[in-house]
Amino acid sequence: MQLFLEQMLNGLAIGAIYALITLGLALVYGILRILHVAHAAIYTVGAYVGLAIFSSTHSLALSVTGSMLFCAILGVLIERFVYYPLLKFPPYVPLIGSIACLLAIEELCRMVAGPYILSFPAELPFPSFTIGGIVISSTLSAVYGISAGVLLLLWIITTKTELGLAMRATSQDMAIASSMGINSHWIISVTFMIGSAVAAIAGILVGIYYNQVYPTMGAVPAYKTLALIVVGGLGSVPGAVLASILLGIAETLLIGYAGIPLPRDALAFIAMIAVLLWRPQGLLGGRR
Amino acid sequence: MSDYTITIGTFIAIQAIVACGLNVIVGYAGQISLGHAAFFGIGAYASALLTTAGGFSFWGALPLVLFITGFIGLVLGLPSLRLKEDFLAITTIGINFIVVSVFLYVPFFGGALGIGGIPRVILFGTRLRGTPFLFLCLAFLAAVQLVSWLFTRSWSGLACFALREDEAAASSMGVSPVRFKLAAFILGTAMAGLGGALYAHFMRFISATDFGFPMSVMILSMVVLGGMGTLWGPVLGALVLGMLPEVFRPLTEYRMFLYAALLLLMIRFQPGGLLGESSLARQIFSRLKGGEKE
Amino acid sequence: MTEILLSLREVSMHFGGLKALDKVSFDLCDGEILGLIGPNGAGKTTCFNTVSGVYRPTSGEIRFGGIRTDGLPPHRMAALGIGRTFQIVRPFPNLSVLDNVIVAMGLPCYRGIIPSCGSWKRQKTRDGAMELLSKVGLDLQAPQKAGLLPLGNLRRLELARALALNPRLLLLDESFSGLRHEEVAMQEELVRKTRESGISILLIEHNMRVAMGLSDRLVVLDHGLKLAEGSPDEIRKNPEVIQAYLGKEGHSNVA
Repeated sequence: MQLFLEQMLNGLAIGAIYALITLGLALVYGILRILHVAHAAIYTVGAYVGLAIFSSTHSLALSVTGSMLFCAILGVLIERFVYYPLLKFPPYVPLIGSIACLLAIEELCRMVAGPYILSFPAELPFPSFTIGGIVISSTLSAVYGISAGVLLLLWIITTKTELGLAMRATSQDMAIASSMGINSHWIISVTFMIGSAVAAIAGILVGIYYNQVYPTMGAVPAYKTLALIVVGGLGSVPGAVLASILLGIAETLLIGYAGIPLPRDALAFIAMIAVLLWRPQGLLGGRR
Repeated sequence: MSDYTITIGTFIAIQAIVACGLNVIVGYAGQISLGHAAFFGIGAYASALLTTAGGFSFWGALPLVLFITGFIGLVLGLPSLRLKEDFLAITTIGINFIVVSVFLYVPFFGGALGIGGIPRVILFGTRLRGTPFLFLCLAFLAAVQLVSWLFTRSWSGLACFALREDEAAASSMGVSPVRFKLAAFILGTAMAGLGGALYAHFMRFISATDFGFPMSVMILSMVVLGGMGTLWGPVLGALVLGMLPEVFRPLTEYRMFLYAALLLLMIRFQPGGLLGESSLARQIFSRLKGGEKE
Repeated sequence: MTEILLSLREVSMHFGGLKALDKVSFDLCDGEILGLIGPNGAGKTTCFNTVSGVYRPTSGEIRFGGIRTDGLPPHRMAALGIGRTFQIVRPFPNLSVLDNVIVAMGLPCYRGIIPSCGSWKRQKTRDGAMELLSKVGLDLQAPQKAGLLPLGNLRRLELARALALNPRLLLLDESFSGLRHEEVAMQEELVRKTRESGISILLIEHNMRVAMGLSDRLVVLDHGLKLAEGSPDEIRKNPEVIQAYLGKEGHSNVA
């Protein structure tokens, strides 16, 4: 029972990290209807930049803010240079552009930092707990605390502010939003900034959680998150978050605990196909 | 020609065959597929198993291989009848990942070790290797191109074009969406199966990672870059993307980066493909043609 | 009276709680032009879509040429002899005007595996398609991409495509809307000629003058119910129809 609970808590942490990555993808899909595979590259860059700043300054706060800023700019560059000019083409054209971007950035990371696995020896300033004999390490509580904070903040931004209203209007219909005086291209850029900054946080968290930073760390999340946004309902941010957390738990329990010899990375896609057959609009997706 | 050039040439010819198959599905019938490498792999594994464990010859196995990949293509093409655009794109990615995991985790397919000891192709009593095998691949490529050409001229091909353009209008003209979409899937995946079989007997050792999602992206990039829905586009795309890494080979360290960056630039500035409409090549060509008339 | 070609018996179509069609019955005789009119949201297009096979009716029976056809998919209806046009035009934009028509000429070939492997690039097919195009006055535009044509030409292209099916019944869904005055006259002429060649026509029309002028008989729908049926003169005088078109308040003002 104790093992089960511990696995459950680990799964929850992995799910929370998936949620932080998937979130940006869901935001971008909601607004541009683009499968933003290169998002995983931003997450990788986030981990690297965070590590670089941390090793030179030993300040986690500087590392996180610096990395968020860098990634926000990178996200906007990708949006302006790759996606925006390709919007009028069929969806696979920006998708290929996005994949090319992912490859190029991964290679760039490898060229700059080398092909090795770097360690990220930072201590997260979060307390560890013991509840009923189960230890929640400081890393775990940091993952919970940070993801909950980010999700809460984003929820407030998207539902309670003028900016959130403009974002929702733009994702509903870009032309109408523009005609109502919303600078929709600016809103798109802001969406990319937010999503990319959150990806930077996710990159640093993963780096510290596994104590590993390497060039291809984005390869698996790149495609797994695609499955997650489908399971959640394309474009639905709460759905994507829910799907991520469920997948994190399911992966850990099925593979780590029950010992089912299933390839971990195919599970997301098996879940996706099952969901599509049962509920084609996704878990929390509206009918369209 | 050096052995090295022949090897590259053979790879390009095989990938061109697979790309032509994808062109039938994506270019002619308008169904997005990001999992084409799965069928490339199914063809390779089918041929490898039939010729090693099954004791067939390459030629005896080939019809079976085409049948098996075409049949699996038919089954996995079924989602395309219900799903549209992005959902279909992601589902096909999923199919690719699942097929690869089946190869990796089911012992029958050799697991992580893959399948080795695949015999060479024997034609007129000689084992084909090097240049003769390249010619065999080119002959198959020519056959695939011929089939593609015939397909575009057949009523089935026209039905697929109509479905790609407007499904509701096409079905009001007697075109059954189910029948012709699946026909395109069968033909396209069978071509991928042929490419897979050739690949297996060329490499003589295959493993699941050869047929992963990056390969699917590569094949789709070939089709899109060359010009979707054109006859020669996929071949040109295979040639360009197959040669690029070789051109950059002296720059070992930056090779993959340059490759990715170039792919990005090409898709960004020539999204309709090198042979597509409004492409540079077409414009020059039509200008030359216009010049002749004057 | 001549033979009945199409008959609807108590056809209903519900979308969730909305009754888009509620037990509608009418007949269309061979060689007739039947107009289907009614205010916006009356269920005209839904009615069309049940006849052409896009929707399977919730209940009721549709017979075409004596065969029960409700629930058959659109491509089967085309094969049985129903050609249609669309309210919002649906050309194949990247195919040439000529190839647009040739798609429809393939109807007999799409049913079997062997005929569907035959070539569509035959001179005979081409000539047949060109003949249809010159009938609707689009022969000069034949090599152009259909996506580049203006609306008036697209409406005529849709007519040519529908005629290429060699239909017994033609469904025209507002094929006059958005046309200029002289184009309307031309389209009317085409519809008349089509009927003279022995094809029956069921048309939805918003333009009352056109509907009254072309149709032998009219069926009026309102809120999914059949309100009236009869000759243009009878319909014009029917007080219920006038009320449906003017609305309740409008009626009290008139009265």
